[in-house]
Amino acid sequence: MQNRIAALVFCAAALAAPALAQTAQLPAPSSIEKELAARASNVDEITLDKNTLALASNFMAGKNKDDDATRQLIEGLDGIYVRDYEFDKEGQYTAKQIEQLRKYYETSEWSPLARDRDRKTGESSDVMVKLVNGQSRGLFILDVEPKEVSIVLILGPVHMQDLHKVLGVATRGALKGTDAENSVQTKDKKSGNQ
Amino acid sequence: MEDFEQELRHAMERQPAPSSLKRKIMAHLRRAPGPQSHAVLWQRLAASLALAAILGGGAVEWNWHVREERRKGEAARQQVLTALRITNHALDHMNRQLVAHSRANMN
Repeated sequence: MQNRIAALVFCAAALAAPALAQTAQLPAPSSIEKELAARASNVDEITLDKNTLALASNFMAGKNKDDDATRQLIEGLDGIYVRDYEFDKEGQYTAKQIEQLRKYYETSEWSPLARDRDRKTGESSDVMVKLVNGQSRGLFILDVEPKEVSIVLILGPVHMQDLHKVLGVATRGALKGTDAENSVQTKDKKSGNQ
Repeated sequence: MEDFEQELRHAMERQPAPSSLKRKIMAHLRRAPGPQSHAVLWQRLAASLALAAILGGGAVEWNWHVREERRKGEAARQQVLTALRITNHALDHMNRQLVAHSRANMN
């Protein structure tokens, strides 16, 4: 009898494991983010897990066209992690800090989609996608401006068409060619790498 | 005097009760609240008040729960919209940079 129960528990665990493994976890804020937050004049820190997204999704149901489009985008996502640091003046972060920040998120499962560097201004943008069996399972954006640093991490199945619908024109240029979802492009400008 | 005696005898004479009397008395007894029925009445009143209090409390609790869910839902919605606004801003910035660099490369 005990053997049967043990076998049953083992089977249940074996079945549940892949389902649990598929749900990506949102990262803990890195130490660099804390340093940036301490210097920033305006900070937006948004961490939305699967449950909160489901709550927002339910709340958006049938309100208006925009909410419906947003609902369609966030449904099924595992989480959204956004950090935005605005500074009063330039030079509040170092190139090293930005590089550390990039490395913190740039793990082997992420593929660069678009990359842009401007050595003159110090501006840079990185867009990376997480591909699992050719399917987009996450989107990462690191945008660095002289007075602003933005980190966007979207985990889960990101459908570019839904993203285009919600975000509009901006995504059409920056994420051009991603509808195929498995075509990875790297646009590294001659103007230099940071 | 004889008249008086005769009248008295007539008055004291045993007569059968009217047939409807018993029914009337029983009906009256049924209608009149006795001490037991008073207790039942109070019990019923107390039970009704308790039920009303429970239902009222439940309604207040439910109302609070609905309001709280609505507040959380609206807060989550606002956070999603802020996150998307920042995403849009970041992608827009990248788009502008790519366009500027493309133009610079073409020149």
